[in-house]
Amino acid sequence: MFRTSCRIAWASLARRASRSVLVVVMISMSLWGLLFMEGIYDGMTEQMIGNAIRSDSGQLSLFAAGFREDPGLHRLISREGEITELLASDPRVKSFVRRLRQEGLAATAHYSRNVMIYGVDLAAEKSHGRLDGYLIEGEYGFGAKNKGVLVGARLAEKLKVKIGRKLIVSAQNSAHEVAAVALTITGIVRTNNMALDESAVFIAMDKARELFAAPQGVSQISVIVQAEKDIPALQQSLRRYFGTLQILRWDELYPALMQGRVMMQGFNLVMSLLVFGVAGLGIFGVMLVSVLERLREFGIMLAIGTSFAQVRGIIFTESFILGFTGFVAGSLLGGATLFYFYQQGLDLTIFSEGLEEFGMDVITHAVIRAKYFITAFIAVMLATFVSVLFPLHLLKKANPVEAINKV
Amino acid sequence: MFFKIAVRNIFAYAKRSIITVVLLACTTALLVFASAYMDGSHARLIQSSVEIYPGYVQITHQGFRDNPSLENLIFDAGQVSASLRDFPGIAVFAARFESFVLFSSADKAVGGMFTAIEPEKEMSISRLAASLKQGSYLTSADDALVYMGSELARRLKVGVGDQLAFVGTGADYSFAADNLTVKGIFQTGLFDFDSRASFVAKPYFDRVMAAENYATHFIVQPLRPEEAATLAAAIGRRLGPAFDAASWQQTMAGLVQAMRVDSIFGYITLAIIFIVIFFVVMIYTLLVIYARVREIGILRAVGTTPGQVLSMLLLESVLLGLASVLLGGLIGGALAWYFHIHPIVFSGFEEQFKQYGLALTAMPTDFAPLIIMRDMAIMFVLSVSATLYPIFKVNRFRPIEAIHHV
Amino acid sequence: MKTTATANRAQDIPRLGRVELCALFLLCLFLVCLPRLARADEAAEIIRQVEERLNGKTAVLKIAMVITTSRATRTMKMDSYAVGNEKSFIKITYPGKDYGITFLKIDDAMWQYVPRIEKIIKIPASMMLQSWMGTDFTNDDLVRESSISRDYDARIITENDQGYEIELLPRPEAAVVWGRLLMGVAKQELLPESVRYFDEEGVLVRTLQYTEVKQLGDRLYPSRWVMTPHDPEKAGNRTVIEITEAAFDVPIDEEYFSKRALQRFSD
Repeated sequence: MFRTSCRIAWASLARRASRSVLVVVMISMSLWGLLFMEGIYDGMTEQMIGNAIRSDSGQLSLFAAGFREDPGLHRLISREGEITELLASDPRVKSFVRRLRQEGLAATAHYSRNVMIYGVDLAAEKSHGRLDGYLIEGEYGFGAKNKGVLVGARLAEKLKVKIGRKLIVSAQNSAHEVAAVALTITGIVRTNNMALDESAVFIAMDKARELFAAPQGVSQISVIVQAEKDIPALQQSLRRYFGTLQILRWDELYPALMQGRVMMQGFNLVMSLLVFGVAGLGIFGVMLVSVLERLREFGIMLAIGTSFAQVRGIIFTESFILGFTGFVAGSLLGGATLFYFYQQGLDLTIFSEGLEEFGMDVITHAVIRAKYFITAFIAVMLATFVSVLFPLHLLKKANPVEAINKV
Repeated sequence: MFFKIAVRNIFAYAKRSIITVVLLACTTALLVFASAYMDGSHARLIQSSVEIYPGYVQITHQGFRDNPSLENLIFDAGQVSASLRDFPGIAVFAARFESFVLFSSADKAVGGMFTAIEPEKEMSISRLAASLKQGSYLTSADDALVYMGSELARRLKVGVGDQLAFVGTGADYSFAADNLTVKGIFQTGLFDFDSRASFVAKPYFDRVMAAENYATHFIVQPLRPEEAATLAAAIGRRLGPAFDAASWQQTMAGLVQAMRVDSIFGYITLAIIFIVIFFVVMIYTLLVIYARVREIGILRAVGTTPGQVLSMLLLESVLLGLASVLLGGLIGGALAWYFHIHPIVFSGFEEQFKQYGLALTAMPTDFAPLIIMRDMAIMFVLSVSATLYPIFKVNRFRPIEAIHHV
Repeated sequence: MKTTATANRAQDIPRLGRVELCALFLLCLFLVCLPRLARADEAAEIIRQVEERLNGKTAVLKIAMVITTSRATRTMKMDSYAVGNEKSFIKITYPGKDYGITFLKIDDAMWQYVPRIEKIIKIPASMMLQSWMGTDFTNDDLVRESSISRDYDARIITENDQGYEIELLPRPEAAVVWGRLLMGVAKQELLPESVRYFDEEGVLVRTLQYTEVKQLGDRLYPSRWVMTPHDPEKAGNRTVIEITEAAFDVPIDEEYFSKRALQRFSD
């Protein structure tokens, strides 16, 4: 019986081929556009968030009490070992890094600038936030004697320095004395985290300990978790163990980014509703006309004993075939487009000045999520279903006999 | 003749007509409103960033923007004033002198900006006066009274009426220092600005900082802010090569570009909606025209030429398109106008705006009849072109075929 | 964001009499802190002697400083009291408007007293470290205790009847911005004649000349020092330091090196 319905449905769709094709094209085009938009926009927001998380905050960051309001070497995390042990043994934690930081000055023979000096472990930063991926020039390392320094891209511009140049980095150490060290620029990094690009110099942790005269303790421990959903729970448990520390999520450290994400989600939802609403209207029109055109046909079917359920089945099947074909075509098209932009990225170099000012990457890599396709599938199915309800209602109201007599 | 038939047909196929008109009108309204919103919010964002402090046109001594040292000051502010006095297109202009000093309160020493302004003129140039939070704004006669950003005041732990001292470098490189009293505290909402900026009246500043007749720059408020770039160029010509007159488009190039990127993505988004609408309109036209295949066949059979049928159908779609676009333009225009007067308020997004240095949450739409007309024209073309395929397709039927078409 | 463009720019305007601070402390450093000897070869020995002659264990000086920029010239006078590299006290005596402004530097802490506001201000470390751009001196001269014999390897390039030209290359560990210094030394008095500062690429950045040798205190001494920057941005700038009176290796009252002194010796 089901096969009959299918066959009849298929036949009637084929009879009005151009109309059916149009509907399918319409659905696939709208899906294509939506998928592209969602993937690119999400890519943009996630890249911005990712940059902040990777280069600085992690998903959770631990600081000593009062550090954020009054940062300095007098506020270091002292129970470093204990925390490290706990983080290393927690299955929810994917990776974590320790950083030591202090304000200072970077100088060449010609220029000098205020900087934030970060003592880091490059190997750990690489597996933690892929810091090496931000390298735009030079090499990712501090050289054999740890005498290298990685410099933020904008800072390098302002100091007018190149790879291999000497940079004198000075800072007030924990004994309140000014200490300085001669370093060689080994690399330049662009994280698109504006604060870092403008003022960060990364030096080896050991070098920083020496320069700052801070043999123990760290300024920040940045944590990346296995699954995003674990963040609040981990934050809670860390707070239980280390109540005095400041333990903050990335969205508490970068509230604007979280708002950006929420805004983008809202925007995508509104867009999807609009597009599917309009597309649903298209399906509705086609189904309505196709039912009305065939009132006589259906009247005869009902008169010769076909049950209304069967007729209903035929109509649903028709609508389903349209929707499903459209969905498949649109998903393939949209998926392929997203995959292209996922791999190649959308290059907006011509607007680089504007994008960089807002801490956005010049090349946006699209995001592909199963969620897009599932939501789209549900939306298409819903649209096809809802759009035949009214035609069915009309059909049911229409007296079959009247319908037969109608020309 | 065609016109009558077309109108009759439109009413005869009321359902199609209504759906088409509703769809097209809604889309037109959406487009009109969306572009009004985009243009409006961008203009607002730019305006607010420009007007908080930087100003539309900035005049500096040549080289100051690249190398802001005491060597590159405007050393004859009086001469610049004289040149600008009767300059057409200028509403107000005022001199400023920006310097960096060390503030010292009871037990705190904090570095900050120490800027001379002409308080009365400044009121029509920037939003400093309007950002008053406590105490009061400055007047030209104020002596050793400072108007200070809220965050800077918080860091120094001073309130209105409290004393603090500053030490800095005078314009002649001399030591400059004095005791100040906080007259007012302002809050623009821009954290960075509020935590660094402080202002004093220029006559007082000139005395303590040895800056008589000097300025770091002049800020010009144009009569028509939208013509800032032309005005800046004209001022530049008048002042000659020793000076540099830059409009906000130059001083804030990054922001301008960011807004352009946002617009592009906005239009891409709209384009996606248009594609869908385009197909829906095409589908509906196809449905209606196919329902009339027999009628058209008869028309052809009685001697109507294909050209005439084509004209008739086209006229129908043109009329429908026109009606929808007009209706949509009216609705969209009305919305744009309404939200122009009653700006949309985004509470809860202050953080994000602030991070980008934009201290505002209310976004008025832009009510620009020309842009509305442009959008209506786009929609009209779109709606008519959506009907072309069905019209040409139906016209390819031979009369007999058409009459027998079920 | 660009709203703060102007604000950012303002940061680069010289702050806090930086020219003065710099010059003053540069002066102290040059005068009092070129001690310590590393190697006993000839060049190093010459440098050691030069340093010894130029500096004393303590120094009490009267100084006039003429700062010339492309725009104007102005003169400052001051009294300076210094013990080694660690402690110094400076009082401005001219122009009258600035009379009585005092500075105290003990190790890396620095205070300033301004009679007009009757206040002692501790200059925050962050500001001491901030850029001294726009002056003829770099922060490196100032904040750090650099010493030629500690930070550089010396080598005689040329030698004639009048003097030596000595090349100074920074040691790998030395935190100095320069790529190379060339120092001219007069043979007879073993006093410096000039120091040329080069960056890493060999570009001449600035020149310091020691001239007008005369009897000051217990020794022959170059009484006029001229610092000329060569960056195109600073074309026409020059700082001249004249030492009008000097006493070396005399005891200095410890009183000068306390915060109380800032106000007490201001008059």
